[in-house]
Amino acid sequence: MSVHEKVKKILLVDDDIDLLEQNKIMLESKGYKVVTAENVEDGWNQFKKEKPEAAIVDLIMEEHDSGFILCHRIKKDSYGKTIPVFLLTSATYFTGFKFGSSTNEEKEWINCDAVLNKPIVLEELLKKIEHFFEAVA
Amino acid sequence: MENQKPHVLIVDDERGLRLGTKRLLESEGFVAEAAENGAEGIRLAKSNEYDLAIIDLKMPDIDGIEVLKAIRKENPNTVCFIATAYASFDTAIESTKLGAYSYIPKPFTPEELLLQLRKGYEKRLLILEAERLRKEREERLLEIAYEKTRLKTIMDSITEGALVVNRTGELVMYNSGALKYLDLHEIFIGDVILEILPVEITAIIQKFIDSETYIPNSYSTQVELKPNKELVIEATCSPVPHTDGSLAGVVTVIRNITESVKVEAVKSQFVSMVAHELKTPLAAVIGFLKIILDDEVKVSPEQQKDFLKRSYTRLQSLVVMVNDLLDISRMELRKAQREIKELEIDQILKSIIDFLEIELQKKKITVSLHTDSPACRLKADQNEINRLFTNILSNAVKYNKDNGSIDINISNSGNYLVTRISDTGIGMTKEEKAKLFQEFYRVKNDKTRGISGTGLGLAIVRRIVDSYAGKIDVESNPGEGSTFSVYLPLSLSK
Repeated sequence: MSVHEKVKKILLVDDDIDLLEQNKIMLESKGYKVVTAENVEDGWNQFKKEKPEAAIVDLIMEEHDSGFILCHRIKKDSYGKTIPVFLLTSATYFTGFKFGSSTNEEKEWINCDAVLNKPIVLEELLKKIEHFFEAVA
Repeated sequence: MENQKPHVLIVDDERGLRLGTKRLLESEGFVAEAAENGAEGIRLAKSNEYDLAIIDLKMPDIDGIEVLKAIRKENPNTVCFIATAYASFDTAIESTKLGAYSYIPKPFTPEELLLQLRKGYEKRLLILEAERLRKEREERLLEIAYEKTRLKTIMDSITEGALVVNRTGELVMYNSGALKYLDLHEIFIGDVILEILPVEITAIIQKFIDSETYIPNSYSTQVELKPNKELVIEATCSPVPHTDGSLAGVVTVIRNITESVKVEAVKSQFVSMVAHELKTPLAAVIGFLKIILDDEVKVSPEQQKDFLKRSYTRLQSLVVMVNDLLDISRMELRKAQREIKELEIDQILKSIIDFLEIELQKKKITVSLHTDSPACRLKADQNEINRLFTNILSNAVKYNKDNGSIDINISNSGNYLVTRISDTGIGMTKEEKAKLFQEFYRVKNDKTRGISGTGLGLAIVRRIVDSYAGKIDVESNPGEGSTFSVYLPLSLSK
């Protein structure tokens, strides 16, 4: 990890507590500070309270589209607009239809900066986060 | 003369001439019969078909012309000669008009007579041959007509659609199935059908027509004729050869595959869902192992042990899920080996309660069981009924609160044995209730956190209840608990 002025804080939202803890540990091992939440409501509260530098949100939680909703809310927030939000999913496999965030049309309704497939490939995730931080800086 | 002797009838009132002619003809290889007057001639002609007839024009009883008419009427193919001494141009014309082959003037020499008769007999053979050919042709036409209606009957009795086009793409033959499955109102023989058929089918037919030679390959295509899988057909096109091996046309067989396409879609969605559900616990286990194996990630020995324990739990639940899935697939295939016998439902429920004893004690849940005594007997498969109530009861325990209770009531209602299982658990909202029996659906909220399950328990319950033509009702209010009422038809037990 490149040297930053301060330790970056990442919000992780996932209803699978095992995966949540694993990702937390992995990200912490790379020098990030991690805050976690297990549902949309909690995720939103943590976002408002902690003001993380990035958010990683699982798509399917209480409902099949919980992740979309949280992403949308964060991206509508004046602070949320400035941070990268990643949507975490294995839905591209199981629904049989593919989606991403590459076209403008998709960006319109999937309000996030990238769609990440589960399980997380840490290196890939870090590259995306770093890339975003560098671009902003 | 050929193998058969020609039969000749001689009608003449002049005895000498009559018998003389008869003798002459018999010596020349004919079979001859003689009649001494017109009436006798007509009588003989009515009972036999003669090849040839020689009729005297002037007879005392009936005129030769009348005899000619009568014979011709009876056997139009008999070659008749009119013989007379009173030869006149008019009678000659009249007799030939009436169908006499020729006219023999009296007196005649044996040579003259034989020459005429032989010529006449040749004529007779030609007439017979022509007659035979005509009959044969008529029979063939009849056969073709019959063949056509038979083919049409066969075509129409095929539930699949079939239509045949010729090399110029015109419709030659079709059945009612073709109209139905192509969603066409009417088509006519001779229509340039390629303009009407779906392009996917036309393309294949056109390929056959363009290649001109007959290649014995068939090609199939699937066409969605009505959107949203409302009508999906499979068309198989095969070339039809002429006897010389050249291409005569193309036959297209159309099968309605709407149902199987729909089933296929449901199935593949289910498989995707299963794959997703199986992947999730595996991902969790892999994640834990990765952390433990990764030297860069620092975790304490206690944490490591915790992660291994949690991996173990995830794998255990995975095994449960695989077993549930196998049960569902067995039920789908109706492979389940059922052993139908009389069961005492209250006994089964008691044994399930015993089985759940440890969980019940952990949460300090009390169970009460009420029965209307004769109501508990039912003929069914013990494993299935056991599974059915175990799934409902274990939910009643899992989603119950500490110090809660479960109330079981068995009764008869109409034609059903009703088992009511009420708990004092977390209950459900209307929306949650609606999705309850879907595969993999699990109520997710603060209160269900940490409760493990596959999301298949109630899906299995529904399948078992359905397979016994029973029904299941759920009443529930959030925070107040749920009541599951299982109705199993009593007619099963008769």
